[in-house]
Amino acid sequence: MVQVNGWLAPKYLLWLWHGFGITLGLAATVALSATALGLVLAMMRRARWSWLRWLAASYVLVFRNSPLLVQLLFWYFGVATLLPETAMTWLNAAHTLSIGPVTLGWPSFEFVAGWFGLTCYSTAFIGEEFRAGLRGVPGGQYHAAAALGLGPFTAMRYVILPQALRIALPPLFGQYMNIVKNSSLTMAIGLAELSYASRQVDTETFKTFQAFGAATVLYIATIALIEVALAVFQHRGARMSHRS
Amino acid sequence: MKKNSLIAAVLGLLLSMSGVAHADRLDQIKSAGVLRVATFDSNPPFGFVDPKTNQIVGLDLDYAKAVAAKLGVKLEVQATNPANRIAFLTSNKVDLVFANFTITDERKKEVDFSTPYFASGTQFIAKKGVLTQPAQLNSLRIGADKGTTNEQQVRAQFPNATIVAYDDTPFAFAALRTGNVQAITQDGPKLVALLAKVPDRDKYEIPPFTISNDYEGVGVPKGEPRLLAAVNETLKGLEADGSAASIYDQWFGPKSAAPLPRLFKIGDPQKS
Repeated sequence: MVQVNGWLAPKYLLWLWHGFGITLGLAATVALSATALGLVLAMMRRARWSWLRWLAASYVLVFRNSPLLVQLLFWYFGVATLLPETAMTWLNAAHTLSIGPVTLGWPSFEFVAGWFGLTCYSTAFIGEEFRAGLRGVPGGQYHAAAALGLGPFTAMRYVILPQALRIALPPLFGQYMNIVKNSSLTMAIGLAELSYASRQVDTETFKTFQAFGAATVLYIATIALIEVALAVFQHRGARMSHRS
Repeated sequence: MKKNSLIAAVLGLLLSMSGVAHADRLDQIKSAGVLRVATFDSNPPFGFVDPKTNQIVGLDLDYAKAVAAKLGVKLEVQATNPANRIAFLTSNKVDLVFANFTITDERKKEVDFSTPYFASGTQFIAKKGVLTQPAQLNSLRIGADKGTTNEQQVRAQFPNATIVAYDDTPFAFAALRTGNVQAITQDGPKLVALLAKVPDRDKYEIPPFTISNDYEGVGVPKGEPRLLAAVNETLKGLEADGSAASIYDQWFGPKSAAPLPRLFKIGDPQKS
């Protein structure tokens, strides 16, 4: 008989909860860094100098055209062999930084490698979403801004970017959802995030349905929250553009 | 008194009748002249296909051959995977299972086991000099294979160890090489097999301790005491005349590809 009855013991719920925390922490930090770098990448693709445009285009080519799993394995196993042994010892040891009452712990190398790999990968996609948003702003807007006497930077900051962002917002949030889902691949490099935790719980308790069910529900809930956030942003954006 | 002896007599008759009803497996094997055995075909050095001869060879197979020779019958080999071992026995597809079959209480409910003829345990590979005694595990980062008993044993016995679990042993070993973990854990025989293929194996060692002991025995169908006794007798005889040690040395001896000290002899008392 397959045992489906009986919920997971508190110890295992704690494992899942801890894994969920790592997933959220990883996804949030990746979303932040990839958004900042993606914006830089999109700007580079419209740069005046052709070598800079070429550089940005090759970045997208490299990171978008190879599987994320391979990239993660590369950063974790491949690059680690190139680093000197002292650097690896430092990266793998525990470090804490105390600022007043707050003590910050240096994350594990698994987390750093996962964050770095996911950021590199997601930057390529987010950069393309920003580029699409920028291209969606009609050329007349640039001329109108120039006619009002705005310089290229102020025109970008106050005229072009706000419009581009509104166009790019839904696909951008789609990328954030992808980041949450893609973070599960970091379990291949030993990061104890939600998928890893659910697999550990499954092998220890044999409560397969509960272990993977709980993880699935947590993923769906996170994605749903991102969808709600998008709806709120869009609603607010629409109201603000009506007012102005 | 009279009543009791009558009951005993009836019971005795019933027992001998049931014995006749499904003929003893040992007699069946002898009358057929064939011993049907299940072994692994892709688990070196226990049971694997020799690419030169296309035959299954290995430590388990050598023991199976010795038992067949002792019974004076031909050996018929059936390849199996870990999941099918019990099913092969309970469905009468084979007479015995020689497939690195770890004796557990759960499995004893389904099949009988002979006296163990091989022992292995959770061991470690570390860079030379890093790991000398079990207590050090508490302060190390240990690489493990996800979902193995090795991982669970380390977590239960060394709660302060940091365990990083990977999808399989080669990944864990890659993490050891790059310095992401200081030791990796698996069953001793699997670790020597892994180390045998490493070009710079001089840098690594398998510290001479185990944190658990698993015993592998011959799987025998339930309710065949004569067959079980014959297998046990053969195994003890192999130890007594030295052939058990020479079978071991052929696969794990100092001159083999994967040397592993023989810490257990057939008939030794079992440690938990």
